[in-house]
Amino acid sequence: MNRASRRGLLAALAVALPVLIGLGYSVLASLGFTGPGAAGFEPGRVAAVLREPVVWSGLAWSLWVAAASTAVAAAGAVLVAVLFRGGGRGDRAARLFALLPLPIPHLAAAVAGLLLLGQSGLLSRLLAALGLLSSPSEMPALVYDRAGLGLILTLSWKEFPFLALVAFSVLATRGGRLEEVARTLGATPVAVFRRVTWPLLWRGLLPATVAVFVFVASTYEATAVLAPSDPLALPLLTLERYTDADLSRRGDAFVLVLLGMAVSLLAVAAHEWARSRWDRYEP
Amino acid sequence: MCSRRRPGLLALAAPAIIFALGACRPAERTSAAELARLPWDSVLVRARGTTVTWRMWRGDPSVNAFVDRWVAPRVKERYGITLTAVEGQGPEIVNQLVLEREAKARGSADLVWINGETFGNLRRENLLDGPWAGTLPNARYVDSASPIVRRDFGQDPAGYESPWGRVQFTLIYDSARTPDPPRNVAALGKWILAHPGRFTHDQQFTGVAFLKVLLYALGGGVQQYQGGFDARRYADGSARVFEWLEHHRSAFWRQGKTYPPGVAELHRLFANREVDFSMSYNPNEVVTKVRQGILPTTARPLLLQDGTIANTHFVGIPFNAPHAAGAMVVANFLLSPEAQLEKQRPAVWADGTVLSRDRLPAEWAARFARLAGDPHALSPDSLAKYARPEVSPLYHERLAADWRARVRQGGE
Repeated sequence: MNRASRRGLLAALAVALPVLIGLGYSVLASLGFTGPGAAGFEPGRVAAVLREPVVWSGLAWSLWVAAASTAVAAAGAVLVAVLFRGGGRGDRAARLFALLPLPIPHLAAAVAGLLLLGQSGLLSRLLAALGLLSSPSEMPALVYDRAGLGLILTLSWKEFPFLALVAFSVLATRGGRLEEVARTLGATPVAVFRRVTWPLLWRGLLPATVAVFVFVASTYEATAVLAPSDPLALPLLTLERYTDADLSRRGDAFVLVLLGMAVSLLAVAAHEWARSRWDRYEP
Repeated sequence: MCSRRRPGLLALAAPAIIFALGACRPAERTSAAELARLPWDSVLVRARGTTVTWRMWRGDPSVNAFVDRWVAPRVKERYGITLTAVEGQGPEIVNQLVLEREAKARGSADLVWINGETFGNLRRENLLDGPWAGTLPNARYVDSASPIVRRDFGQDPAGYESPWGRVQFTLIYDSARTPDPPRNVAALGKWILAHPGRFTHDQQFTGVAFLKVLLYALGGGVQQYQGGFDARRYADGSARVFEWLEHHRSAFWRQGKTYPPGVAELHRLFANREVDFSMSYNPNEVVTKVRQGILPTTARPLLLQDGTIANTHFVGIPFNAPHAAGAMVVANFLLSPEAQLEKQRPAVWADGTVLSRDRLPAEWAARFARLAGDPHALSPDSLAKYARPEVSPLYHERLAADWRARVRQGGE
């Protein structure tokens, strides 16, 4: 190992240390050695928690919301990046507007979603005023709804500018020249998009997309504001157990934390695997 | 080369490890239990110049204003104590103290706002300092004849917490929308069935309190649940609660398939006319929320005549509080007739007093009697008439857990 890579390892360790400590603590707490309500080694807790249907329905629901909002945000990012990639004033303004949600806190976005999409929200009142609904309460349920539509819309809107920023830079730094080469070799505009622009975009976007997916799957604030009580999203279930009136149930939260962490690690591992596969074909 | 490098790695990791293990040693502290044996003057001397950190629920602007802008300047001026309120309630307080004990860390709070199952958990885990509460000079005014003030969810405070306020569960309705509201649980059930989609409760503390109101009303009153947790009584009573919920559920808001997360969201649904009732553990919440513009001016509190739960909230001193003397002085100030009167004023917080008018000096008793009434407030007499004490927190814990498993998860 040379000096530089050893330094790199050190830096990585320094960054990873809090996570590793948290991981170790969660393992110990899951087994009953430590944490609120810990009563000594109880090996049965992990299995007992993992046998609860509410855990799996919560996990499935969180994964659905994460997958759907990441997909919508990524599709929006690609669309905006491709449509407004020029250097003209209109395109530059469009790109700037696309980034506006970036600095808005997640909690503020969630509350805005609630006030806009709720059955007594702005949208329902507007539709009622326009005569499209006979009363605001006829508005379909978009918040606290089982499909999580309000949450998905809010999170897509919030994550979209982050992915758009990545997409803009991918196209700006690598797109133009490669496309020009393809065109001079006689490719049609459709072929240029299919063979050059699109592969560049999705490969460039994939790491950021995985990051968004992992973040959304475990995000608490927006979920607490907009999610239904059944199924109960994994982050909400985790905090509910950690603050259960019954002290002996608080250890469950650490099992759920480990479960959430496993999902994130799987997503990252899947991405690394995919990347290593296509890297083999790259020159 | 390697041997020269390795200490570098350790040096980098060491502060993090030391921090994680909480190696900062706690300073020598005098416990509240020891201070309680000293004359009050000497507690005052030890309290002077200290900073008291009060971990409390910070979710209500009127409560925060009372603590930050009324209590804090007075304890500073009179006792030289700097009072800082920080966020943290119920379960978070317990978790925080468990972690501080594990880490052998210096205590991060001197005073905690607690009651019910939080007090029960803290006592079970030996996380409270005491006994001390009975030795406060102002404890002599406390209405200890009242079962609601004397016990905390059926538990004996035993000097480990000092009362500072009293609340009672009420429904909230809109007198413009519902001029003739149901006044007992049976009538409420009929109303719900006749007005589908217009009633719900939240998933947290207030919602569980509503379930306990049902438990008392449908299970034959509060008396049989007193004297500790009884599994057979609970099974009987809760079966009736769940039967009632099952019968009415399809007429709940969103067919009872989803529930608002907390009481703040329930207030919002009520104010936005999505539902026709809200609820609160503070009968005067209507007063303050109308003043804040959150609830409509036609909102009114409603006592169910089957009886509604009343309870007292307390302050405790954690086992590792760095400044127990200061915390005792603040707790004593909170019990002063002056602070209790201010706290009860509708414009301030409208939180009920724990003092007995019979025990107060005549001049103060008169001032409590003259407390300006508010049209949104219930009279103390009707509140007292329907007040029922809390029962063991185990009833609360079990009802919450069973509701989550049997009702909330059965949403489909």
